[in-house]
Order: sequence, then C-alpha cells, then structure tokens
Amino acid sequence: MIFGMHDGVLFHLGPIPVDHLVVTQWVIIALLGTVAFFATRNMQEIPRGLQNAFEMIITWANEFFTQLMDKPHVAKKWAPLLTTFFLFILVSNYSGLLPGSATIDGFQPPTSNWNVTMTLALITFFSIYVAGISENGLHHFKHFVSPSPAMLPLNLVEEVAHPLSLTVRLFGNIFGEEMVIAYLLFMAPFVVPAAIMGLSLLLGAIQAIVFTILSASYIAAATGEGH
Amino acid sequence: MIRDKRFHLSVLLLTIIMVLGFATLCMASGDASGTAIPQPPGQTPAFGNLFVIGWTAVNFFVLLALLYKFAFNPINAMMDQRAATIESSLKHAEEVRIEIDQMKKETQANLADSRKEAQEIVARATKAAEDAKTEIINKAHEEADNFKVKAKAEIEAATEQAKKELKDTSAVLAIMAAEKLLGRAITDEDHKKMVDQFVNEAGDMLC
Repeated sequence: MIFGMHDGVLFHLGPIPVDHLVVTQWVIIALLGTVAFFATRNMQEIPRGLQNAFEMIITWANEFFTQLMDKPHVAKKWAPLLTTFFLFILVSNYSGLLPGSATIDGFQPPTSNWNVTMTLALITFFSIYVAGISENGLHHFKHFVSPSPAMLPLNLVEEVAHPLSLTVRLFGNIFGEEMVIAYLLFMAPFVVPAAIMGLSLLLGAIQAIVFTILSASYIAAATGEGH
Repeated sequence: MIRDKRFHLSVLLLTIIMVLGFATLCMASGDASGTAIPQPPGQTPAFGNLFVIGWTAVNFFVLLALLYKFAFNPINAMMDQRAATIESSLKHAEEVRIEIDQMKKETQANLADSRKEAQEIVARATKAAEDAKTEIINKAHEEADNFKVKAKAEIEAATEQAKKELKDTSAVLAIMAAEKLLGRAITDEDHKKMVDQFVNEAGDMLC
C-alpha cells in the first residue's frame, strides 16, 4: 500500500527515472492542455460555454495582476506565467482529492512533494531576477545594499527566504492535508475523511492563490520604481 | 426559524458522522492487537531529487507553452479583436449619428424651402386669381356698358321709326277726315297745303 508520503520511481524512461508524481503532472498537463485546446478551438466573437469560462479566468487574472502590479506592461508580460502557476497548483492540489490518489501507481498529487514545490519556487526566484533586470537593468542588484550596505546580510537572507517560504508553505499544507486524509482513510475509511476533504477543497484553492499572489508581488516589487 | 432548524439538523448530522467515524476508528484500533494507532507504510519524500526537479521544470514549461498556444495567445488576440470591433462599432455609430444629424438638418432646410415655395405658389395663384377676377369683372362691366349703349341706340332708332310711321299714318287719316268734312275731293294743291299744315300741327302736338 502506498500513501501520500510515498516518493518513488514508477519506471525508467531510458536512463531517466520517472516518479509517480511526474506521471500525475503529465496527466494534469494533458488535461489542462486539452481543455484549453477545446476552449479556444472555434473562437467566437460572442463567447459561449468553455471559451467563456476560459476567457473569464484569463481576463480576471490579467485584471488582477494589473491591479497588483504598478506597471500594466509588466503585468501583461508576467500574467501568463502566474496564471499557469495558479492553474497547475490548483489542479495538482485537487488531484489529491480524487479517489485512488496516492494508492494507484503513478497517481500522486505533485504539490505534496517538496521537490515539485521547490521547482515552482525556483521558477519564481529566477523570474524575479529576469523581471527585475529586464525592467531596471543592473540597478536591480542595488536592492541588496539598500537602504545601506550594512543591510546586505539581511537582504541576502530575505532573498533566500522568499523561495524557501514558497516551497515550504505549499509543500507543508498539501503534504499535511494528504497525510491527514491518508491516516484517516487508513484508520476510519467511513465518512470521517469527508470533513477533512471538504476543508482541503478550500485549502487547495487558498494555497494556489497564495503562491500566485506572492510570486506576483515579488515580481512587482522587483520591477517597481523604488527598487 | 428555518435557518435555525437547518443549523440544528446539520449539527446533528455531523455528530452522527463523527460518532460513527470514531466507532469505526475504535474498532479498527481494537483489531490491531494492542497497538494504539497503526502506522501507514511509506517513506518521507527525499529532498533534492534532481530528476523530479528536472521533470517538474520541463513539465511546467511544457504546460506554460501549451497554455500560451491554446489559451493566452488566442484569448488575448480575441480580446484585442473584440476591443477593435467595439471601437469600430462605436466609431461607426458616431459616424451614423453625425450623418443622421446632417440629414436631419438637410431635411429641415428642404422642408423650410418647400414651405416657402409653397407659400410663394399660393401667393402667386392668389394674385393670378385676383387678376382674373378683376379682368372678368371689368370685361363684364364693359360688355354691359356696350350692351347698354347698343340698346339705347336701338331704342332711339325704333322711336324715330315709330315717329315716322305715325306721321305717315296721321297724314293719311287727316286726308280721309278732311275728305269726309268737305265732301269732295281735294285738289292736289289744297291737299298738299292742308296736309302739310296738319302734319306740322299734329307733329308738334305729338312730340
């Protein structure tokens, strides 16, 4: 029996090992890609059905990031990445609620593994640098010695704390939730996990939103005027 | 009231669920011969699994590319297209509005012109009618005058004729009367003398 904490190789693709959660990621990508493909296959001037839903998500995200960031062109540039973060994390979190999650081979919620959350946090980390340098040039690095060079150590700690907090927050929440559900399912498979599953429905959405908003605010801070 | 009822019902339902759940839990732990809570098998995820990190990065960027191709790009293009359509529609509506305003102005001007023209036509017609009326009346007057003059002349001529006829008749009557009185024929000489005298006297009396 495999539980939420399992972290193992499912099969090898040539010399490269493929973990359970990598297979789940493929399924998530296929799902999101297929939905997006069908949503925008026959684009109409007057949107209907799936196209309407997808347009709503993307328009809402664009508006949200434009409000969050000072510069609309930065928001427009980074909105796709941030929206992808949101959709990927949301679907990953919710995949843990499906029956068979963490018990079927190859099916494990990716965000319950800290290698995955760390990768996402590292993408944010590098995005902050890309955004900062493309917007402010080499002046971006001035923030290490601001307001005075004496703050350099603290600024360095802060720099590392951002991705670390993103990693641990997402991983901790989803892994914890998965573990609680796994224990409850193991001990009392009758009805009790339903309450926690209802809670984790909320938790999954909140964590996806938190990760996205924090990434957006870090990018906004790096591209801001005062940086 | 209804809300209270629902609230109590849900609390009751939740309590039943919890009791049943914990009963199952107790039964499960009772089966596990002594051990309080069984440990589910498995292992904690190893930190820094480079293969998982690599796969995740690749997968994430594949997803980003897919969404970029099938969601962000077409939807943003559609948004732009929609914005352009709305803009052009608004522009078109503005143009049509201006055109309608202009047409309205033209129509009003035309209407004013037409009204003026109609008034002119009516005035002209009225004047022509007035002229015709005056002409007809004048002509009638003239004709009446002519007729009057002609009638007067005819009356005068008839009077003259009647006078002349009366003179002749009275001469014959006088001769006949004289012949009766004298009892004989009057000679041509007497005759002529008497007639002329009588006629002159009678004529003076008649006229």
